[in-house]
Amino acid sequence: MNKVRIFLCALSLLLAAAGCTKKTGEAARDIAPEAATYYKAHPDFFHFATPADLPAGLVWHDGHGVPEFAVPGAKRGGTLHNWIDDFPRTLRFYGPDASGTFRSFILDDWALGLLGRQPNTGQYVPSLAREWAYDKDGRTMYFRLDPDARYCDGVPVRADDYLFAFFIFSSSYIHDPFTNNYISKTFSGITKYDDLTIAISAQEPKPDIEDRLALSPVPEHFYKELGDDYPERFQWQLEPTAGPYTVRPEDIHKGSSIDLTRVPNWWADNKPFLRYRFNVDRIHLEVVRDTNKAFEAFKRGDIDMFDLREPEYWYNKLPGSDPLVQRGCIAKAVFYNQVPCITYGFYINTAQPMLDRRDVREGIAYAANFDLVDKQYFHGDYVRMQTSNDGYSQVPFPGIHPRPFSVDQALACFARAGFTRRGPDGILVNDQGQRLSFTVTSYHDTLRDVLTILRQEAAKAGLELNIEILDGTTGVKKIMEKHHQIAFMALQPTGARYPDYWQMFDSANANKPQTNNITNTADPVMDQLIKAYDHAQTMDEIRRLAYQMELRIRDNAAFIPAYKLPFYRIGYWRWIKFQKDFATRESDDGGVELAGVIGDGLYSIDEGARPTVLAARDSGPPLPAEIRVYDAWKSK
Amino acid sequence: MIFRLDPITRRKLQRFQSLRRGWWSFLILAALLVLAGFAELLVNSRALVVKYHGHIYFPTYTAFHPGSDFGEPYSYEADYRKLQARFRSESRGDWLLMPVVPYNPYENSFEAGVYPPTRPSVAGRHFLGTDTTGRDVLARLFYGFRIAMIFSLLYLVLVYIVGIAIGCMMGYFGGGFDITAQRVVEIWSNMPFLYIVIIVASILTPNLGLLLGIVVLFSWTGMTYYMRTATYKEKARDYVAAAEVLGAGSGRIIFSHILPNAVSTIVTFIPFTVNDALTSLTALDFLGFGLPPPTPSWGELLHQGTANLDAPWIVGSTFVALVIVLSLVTFIGESIREAFDAKKFTIYE
Repeated sequence: MNKVRIFLCALSLLLAAAGCTKKTGEAARDIAPEAATYYKAHPDFFHFATPADLPAGLVWHDGHGVPEFAVPGAKRGGTLHNWIDDFPRTLRFYGPDASGTFRSFILDDWALGLLGRQPNTGQYVPSLAREWAYDKDGRTMYFRLDPDARYCDGVPVRADDYLFAFFIFSSSYIHDPFTNNYISKTFSGITKYDDLTIAISAQEPKPDIEDRLALSPVPEHFYKELGDDYPERFQWQLEPTAGPYTVRPEDIHKGSSIDLTRVPNWWADNKPFLRYRFNVDRIHLEVVRDTNKAFEAFKRGDIDMFDLREPEYWYNKLPGSDPLVQRGCIAKAVFYNQVPCITYGFYINTAQPMLDRRDVREGIAYAANFDLVDKQYFHGDYVRMQTSNDGYSQVPFPGIHPRPFSVDQALACFARAGFTRRGPDGILVNDQGQRLSFTVTSYHDTLRDVLTILRQEAAKAGLELNIEILDGTTGVKKIMEKHHQIAFMALQPTGARYPDYWQMFDSANANKPQTNNITNTADPVMDQLIKAYDHAQTMDEIRRLAYQMELRIRDNAAFIPAYKLPFYRIGYWRWIKFQKDFATRESDDGGVELAGVIGDGLYSIDEGARPTVLAARDSGPPLPAEIRVYDAWKSK
Repeated sequence: MIFRLDPITRRKLQRFQSLRRGWWSFLILAALLVLAGFAELLVNSRALVVKYHGHIYFPTYTAFHPGSDFGEPYSYEADYRKLQARFRSESRGDWLLMPVVPYNPYENSFEAGVYPPTRPSVAGRHFLGTDTTGRDVLARLFYGFRIAMIFSLLYLVLVYIVGIAIGCMMGYFGGGFDITAQRVVEIWSNMPFLYIVIIVASILTPNLGLLLGIVVLFSWTGMTYYMRTATYKEKARDYVAAAEVLGAGSGRIIFSHILPNAVSTIVTFIPFTVNDALTSLTALDFLGFGLPPPTPSWGELLHQGTANLDAPWIVGSTFVALVIVLSLVTFIGESIREAFDAKKFTIYE
């Protein structure tokens, strides 16, 4: 018995001692020396210089003369009530699970970078950098930080935070190989001239060099305790940004809600291009796991704005005749924008038998009646996508159009491929008795209806399309392993100012699993064009090469463009006020939870109007109904 | 042998006929099944009879007729509804006769400026309206009923073959075989059937055969319990011993002697098994793990209906149809159970 007691005592002492050591170890942890050593160990990347070393003859830009897009006079204050469909899995910006949808609320929308962009004109404007200049090598930019710039915890933003950004993005601590890889492939160095002056260089000159180089800083003081346990240690700690909102620890209610609070006395309150925006004090994000439920909450007034993009919501669930709209409680707005489109379309696998024949693919393109789907199923709201990369305002493709639905043309194409007679069910058959029948694979359940219409129409041209709707993971796997015949899906644009062709059309990615060359396009001419395109240094060259490639993509008929929505539309309670033009050319609603609209910060809340609006709902005097279309940026 | 009408069975059937609710339900369901068998003549986009330039055509069950056969400028299947309008306006003695519901369950009938789902309309011959892609709800209900009934009857046959065979063997052989098989059945019936179907359906696109196979694979166990008990009971009777003495083999004893005496158990469960199959198929389709689109199915209609409550004719008509069919089957089941009630007809020595 005694022995046991002694053993237990010893064990508890040992544990206590272990605990102590751990604690002292933690207190002593400081990443700064390690970062400094890292800078020294990579002298070809991290340069230290003095202001005297700045090249002579630099022309400094400061956004002078660029018009502001936010209008003065918006009311400050109030709480916006919005929803999210799931609680974020982490508040970290990097590492596992960090790329969830919540990221757009906390990072993509509000963490300022060195430069901003005037979304109507596309010009660059000051943000964290007050001034910037271009080196004549075309791949280096110089930035002078705004001395007023502060993180939300009050610490000033300094040049060291940019050095540290490269340290942390390259480190294995963040468990984020994608970021590691992107940094090493994109950047070639950073120079610190003084606390407020830096230069950043890319690997090669690019026409959109500003977008690549204008990074957000990473606050070194916040990551003092950075280590291999980063994913767990920083799981629920929000990195301070220089943006207008932050999350206070007491506002994190795991699983149910999270609130964003405006930084008091935000440093950029009076800075051009940042003033008159971000007007609400708090943004309450309630977790509502079902879209229909969220919509009901919106109609009750518990949620302030709602995405009405889908015809089902716009026409059927909240029609203009709805009492809430008629009595002026909820306003409906359509805003035409110009942003790169999600590429919905048929991705035909050119490595499959029969589909390796261009005539067959061209026939399928003529037999795919997307026009009918757009017109009759989507109420004419969706329009036909024209190329594989619509919506890049600087890279237009005038004169390139998809093949229209035409039974005769389709039959002519199929006849060239040997399919000349119809079987007893009307589907074409060739001399070997093969039926003209393919399977369309998709992993979006919402495309089920669209596919049933396409199937009926294709049958007119003697083409049978079998529909295969798989669950997300299985569908992606099948398509990514290139086992599909035709995939009906969409790829997200990369976010750059011009399209990326290498991923989707280079032979380096053909016939390999896990690449985005879903059509298995392997065309030597295309490869050459892509190579030239990826090394292009001017926008003119990019436009010229992109045009040639789009012509070739159309000619090859492996990608058949489907449709796009040229606008977004929302409903909002009338105490929400938008400015006169509603939004900007490059604005986007950001998906069902409207993160994009909220992120632009171009609205305000008139709490004084709330009682009148609610009274109008509950049999008080009605307000004038408001359904507006903002088509200033509608493509002609 | 099973279906030879001995006096007792005849009395049972007479009793079933005398139970009015069950008997009428049976007649209505049988009539519906017969109608569904000839669905192409009642609900179809193909004309029943076409008279064109002196020739008479019956397109319903033949190979498709391209529009060019009737002077239309296209080579795909003739649009008989438009053709009918043309014949009328031309009045050259050509005519055609359309079925009552002139739509097939797959076609999207779009009208310019009108967006589906559209309300029921007698003028448009969409008696129960259209669904979200403009397909006729009545046509989809009717063909969906046929597919569901085919599925249910095949399910019934397969589940019975497997369940009865294994159940009888367990009861007849007893001993080690019974204990082993019983454990296997217990483990097997504890498998989460729905999850397995969902997993399989998300990897493969199921067709009728595959779906039937999966559902049967996890449903045969229920029948074994009843057959095992029934066989145990019958096996102890003298007539089985007599058959054994006469040198009859196990197969002969089970199928010729025991099974006819367990027939009331078998018959009683038929309607409920059909009900099971109907609800399983509908549930799977509702969840999106059933038959692939665009197969007409009640589950898919219910799913559409609940997602579009502003178009109540979709969910309303499907719900009513489902309630009617399930009630009919249940009424039949109740009556059969009463008619075959062992207390009334079993005569112990």
